[in-house]
Amino acid sequence: MVNDPNAVEVKTLNFFYGEKQALKNINLDIKRNEITALIGPSGCGKSTFLRLLNRMNDLIAGVRLEGKILLNGMDIYAPEAESADIRRRVGMVFQKPNPFPKSIFNNVAYGPMLHGIKNKHGLNRIVESSLRAAALWEEVKDDLHKSALSLSGGQQQRLCLARALAMEPEVLLMDEPTSALDPISTSKIEELVMDLKNSYTVIIVTHNMQQAARISDKTCFFYMGELIESGATDQIFTLPQQRQTENYITGRFG
Amino acid sequence: MITHSNVWRFFTKPLMKTRLAPRRGLNGLAGKDIGDRQSRIIFTVLGFTALTALLLIVLFLFLEGTALFIHPAEDGSRVGLGDFILGSFWYPGYTPPEFGILPLMAASLSVTVLSACLSIPLGMGTALYLSSVAGPRVREWGKPVIELLAAMPSVVLGLVGMMVIAPFMQEWWDVPSGLNMLNASVMLALMAIPTIASIADDALESVPRDLLEASYALGATPLQTLMRTRLPCALSGVGAGIILGLTRAMGETMVVLMCAGGAAQLSFSPLDAVRPMTSTIAAEMGETAVGSSHYSALFAIGITLFLMTFAFNLLASFIAGRYSQKGYQAA
Repeated sequence: MVNDPNAVEVKTLNFFYGEKQALKNINLDIKRNEITALIGPSGCGKSTFLRLLNRMNDLIAGVRLEGKILLNGMDIYAPEAESADIRRRVGMVFQKPNPFPKSIFNNVAYGPMLHGIKNKHGLNRIVESSLRAAALWEEVKDDLHKSALSLSGGQQQRLCLARALAMEPEVLLMDEPTSALDPISTSKIEELVMDLKNSYTVIIVTHNMQQAARISDKTCFFYMGELIESGATDQIFTLPQQRQTENYITGRFG
Repeated sequence: MITHSNVWRFFTKPLMKTRLAPRRGLNGLAGKDIGDRQSRIIFTVLGFTALTALLLIVLFLFLEGTALFIHPAEDGSRVGLGDFILGSFWYPGYTPPEFGILPLMAASLSVTVLSACLSIPLGMGTALYLSSVAGPRVREWGKPVIELLAAMPSVVLGLVGMMVIAPFMQEWWDVPSGLNMLNASVMLALMAIPTIASIADDALESVPRDLLEASYALGATPLQTLMRTRLPCALSGVGAGIILGLTRAMGETMVVLMCAGGAAQLSFSPLDAVRPMTSTIAAEMGETAVGSSHYSALFAIGITLFLMTFAFNLLASFIAGRYSQKGYQAA
């Protein structure tokens, strides 16, 4: 199992909101220590797909799932799998920065404290290393007990990233993490994501095709709930095999 | 001569004028328009009427109440502020009269505190259930039902306290009368629960969904999310709801008049009869001669009560402001 290069394997996945089918017959392998970008027009199902990977869609009533999602070999929708356990192993950064209205320290320590880490020394260490990994430590190390809401938007988003990294997740999901940020904050986040690749598996939803081309190793194109094409990012952007992919990338729709 | 059509035109003119007049940019808002001026005058008069009436009531209350300390009583004795606040005997009919309101204040406070012990857990439990446990269908009818309970006339609750709770307590604890501190507290708690539950539920519901998602995404269970994110974020609203509920309990008159037993004694047992400030005023004002020292003393009780509920309200807005401005820094 350890030698299996795939962090996530999705097998014949179908997903329904009530009667409406949101995802159709998705098959996808996501390699460890790679950045996978999910692109496609609004409403194509890419965010829905991302939120299935950490069972966030469990929070919505009336949804139904067929098929399997394996996280390092374990079926995360198996009856014995606990959604809270899955979410500890799969971190998530959201579209809008959503720090808790608590101190910077307590934002990062929130996850570890949930899971029983209480001693001050251990928490200090986790908070520092997570903030360093999110390139925020130097900016906030003297203000750890200030409210997280006093940070700028870009800093808040890096704080949310640090908060997710504090759990040392096996996979990191990012749902359009830079869509609410200015270009400078965006490029900081992009650099970070590329650094994180060495220790994490990253799956990122983005509307920004340049961003997908800049940072990802692999790109998946979704359209109308189907996975139209997936492959190495270079190939998707230079030599797409499907007509719809080419139309989308060249800006003919979407 | 004012005819119907004249009056009608007076009220409709401003509306028609704004519709027909050409737009004049921002200067048009500066009150040059005759229609604007009419409506401004109407609203200003209405607003100041209410404000003036309230200020006059406060002035009246203070003038009548402070007379107790300024003029000597009928028998020539004087009542000091210390005797009034700290005196433990309320015998307005004696010669010389005794106007010590300590037992009355103690009764008001103890009834309020005891009712808080019941209404805070029950009201908060209701709010937590509605916002975090109940399904959408239960919520749909549960919230309006709880808000309707707030519309229950207090005299009806008083009847229930007198006719249902009192006989029950009398038999259960074998006491001479079931009209006591505990009885009044139970009925006051029933009055405060809808206020606390409804405001606390609104506060819990208004916590942004993306914060709850952030908590879930870190592997928090629903209970952990409730205790560590939802409740702390809603704390200011929840605190304001609790204090408003308690203020209502403290100012309530009919329930304590009917259920508390009415004995002006310092008491620490929930099964003793007590006489809170509100019921003292309500029960005795009819028997006093206007301008007598007893009359002034009742107004002085009114001042005390006003200052206490005023302090409660200040505390509520302080708590609400403290948590919303600093971004829950302490949490």
